[in-house]
Amino acid sequence: MKPQQTTPPTTPTMNNGRKVLVVEDEHFISELYVRALTKAGYDVSVEVDGQRGLELAQTNTFDIILLDLMIPTITGIEVLRKLRGPGAPPLKSKIIITTNLEQREEIRADIEKQADAYLVKAEVTPRELVEFLSTIK
Amino acid sequence: MDNLQKFVSQVRSRLFVVLVINNIFIYVDWWFMDRVIGLDTEKLIFTLVITTVLSLTILPWLSAKYLTQPTKLIWQAILHIAPDTANVPAPNLKRRTLGHDLVMNLVSHIYQLASVVDDIEKTEATRQTDLKKDFVANALPLPLLVLDKNQTVIFANHATCDYIKRTTNEVIGQSVYSVLDMSFVSEETFDKWLDNVKHNAAVESKTWERVRLKVEGEEVQRQFDLAAYFNAENPEGFETMLVLFDHTESYSQDDQGLGFIALAVHELRTPVTLLRGYIDVFEEELHDTLTPELAGYLHKMHATAEGLTTFINNMLSVSRVENDQLLLKLHEENWAEIVDTVVSDLSLRANVQGITIEKDVAKDMPTVGVDRVGIYEVIANLIDNAIKYSGTSKRIIIRAGLNKEGMVETTVQDFGAGIPEGVIANLFDKYYRSHRSRSQVGGTGLGLYLSKAIVDAHRGHIWVRSKEGQGSTFGFTVIPYAKLADEQKNGDNNDISRGAHGWIKNHSLYSR
Repeated sequence: MKPQQTTPPTTPTMNNGRKVLVVEDEHFISELYVRALTKAGYDVSVEVDGQRGLELAQTNTFDIILLDLMIPTITGIEVLRKLRGPGAPPLKSKIIITTNLEQREEIRADIEKQADAYLVKAEVTPRELVEFLSTIK
Repeated sequence: MDNLQKFVSQVRSRLFVVLVINNIFIYVDWWFMDRVIGLDTEKLIFTLVITTVLSLTILPWLSAKYLTQPTKLIWQAILHIAPDTANVPAPNLKRRTLGHDLVMNLVSHIYQLASVVDDIEKTEATRQTDLKKDFVANALPLPLLVLDKNQTVIFANHATCDYIKRTTNEVIGQSVYSVLDMSFVSEETFDKWLDNVKHNAAVESKTWERVRLKVEGEEVQRQFDLAAYFNAENPEGFETMLVLFDHTESYSQDDQGLGFIALAVHELRTPVTLLRGYIDVFEEELHDTLTPELAGYLHKMHATAEGLTTFINNMLSVSRVENDQLLLKLHEENWAEIVDTVVSDLSLRANVQGITIEKDVAKDMPTVGVDRVGIYEVIANLIDNAIKYSGTSKRIIIRAGLNKEGMVETTVQDFGAGIPEGVIANLFDKYYRSHRSRSQVGGTGLGLYLSKAIVDAHRGHIWVRSKEGQGSTFGFTVIPYAKLADEQKNGDNNDISRGAHGWIKNHSLYSR
């Protein structure tokens, strides 16, 4: 397999051509994610609102969507359902749930079925997030 | 009516024959007495009177007997079917009698009528029983289900259908396990109990508290007490009856404890995410510019933030244990790999204390059946404890290998102050914090309590050996996967669910 980039991921100038949408209403967190992801060569967009996040995601132009669950207007779970639920048009983006919310097992299992990954934000640093995203193809 | 006409004409013709014979007989008698014997008039009259009297006695007697034969047969048929005189034998209809066809016809009519009446009575009786049963069962506001010998639902009242949001048709004829997706707080689940009583008892009953039920399309689980009555000999095939007593509201109020913890956890995690994020940035971008002292502080900050993450997760897990909501999913895992991950994750915390963690992990261990997240917490807590209680010693050894019982045993040894014998018994209790005072060692005493709950749920064993002044060794066992799979032979081996306090899915074992 051809590596995506030949330079170390910390080199800020090199664009890796992958687009990421961060749906996150906690500004400080999105700031850190944008910084780390941009440095790793991603093209990053941020959206704090659920409804607008959904509309952006539906343009199907992102490779990866980082989706928080507790966001204004419509929740991340709703966004996920609209993107991945029955009847939703095919979406090329990988959806990664990033949350600090603790779910009941069965609810989490339901979410995990529809999403591509589920991360607890407190358990990954931005650097670890970047490492994780490089494994998502 | 044809038979009746036939009967009348038979009677008429026979009576005609009898009367003709009688007249001939009297005439021949008179002729014989008068001409042949030549009796005188007086004697002749006397003989004729005698003959007439005799014929008037004998002929009506014979005629009556003959003519009443049909009536007798019909009478016998009626007596035979009447409930009070049912011991009267059925009439023999093969005998050729006067009006044979009419009698056959009438008797068969009588039998038919009797059977119709009988049917009506029976139907009415059944209808009344059904009516009573349905009325009582459906008026009962509690869900009631009746199962046959194959655990198939043969009756479910209206309350059941309302409760589980299904129609009667979706319930009747289905396996109870597909109708009720129940989870229990103890190993003694309904299916295990039923399986047991089927083999060992004729009549048995049992109740369960805090049973949980997943209802399709609803996020909140139902919670109820369950009562089951088993009767192998029930004449109507009602082998098992189940009644559900809903307590969703009151039981979930008990769970609000977790609701609060979940909220607190969310609120705590956001700042921790940020702290770890900023430390991450500083470590990456400032490290080379910092003095060794400041770099050390940054390192400690990192370790502290990680410790806080662990604590938050512990808090959440403990509240799950207490609310019977810690659900473990046992999968086949490589034990050495898990130990490696935990050791590498905790080495930073050890390093900032100047401690090194040594590993002595056997190479040829079998795979184990564990919940990765849960068992990670156990190892992490034991290492964390060892770090906290190491004192001035700088060495922790983690060992793993098969023990004599064929279980995978892991030990974490420190060379710190050790634990006085008197307190060892309380070590695994909630909030118990060794004998050291709070100022000396951080922590809340949740770690060992939680570790024990998780190891217990894995059906392993956790223990401690300690000598004051020489350090402590904490050890626990987990079951090799092959052994676990063996025990669950009939089940879905890839997904064995366990709870702390043994919170168990009803059956990973049922077949539809």
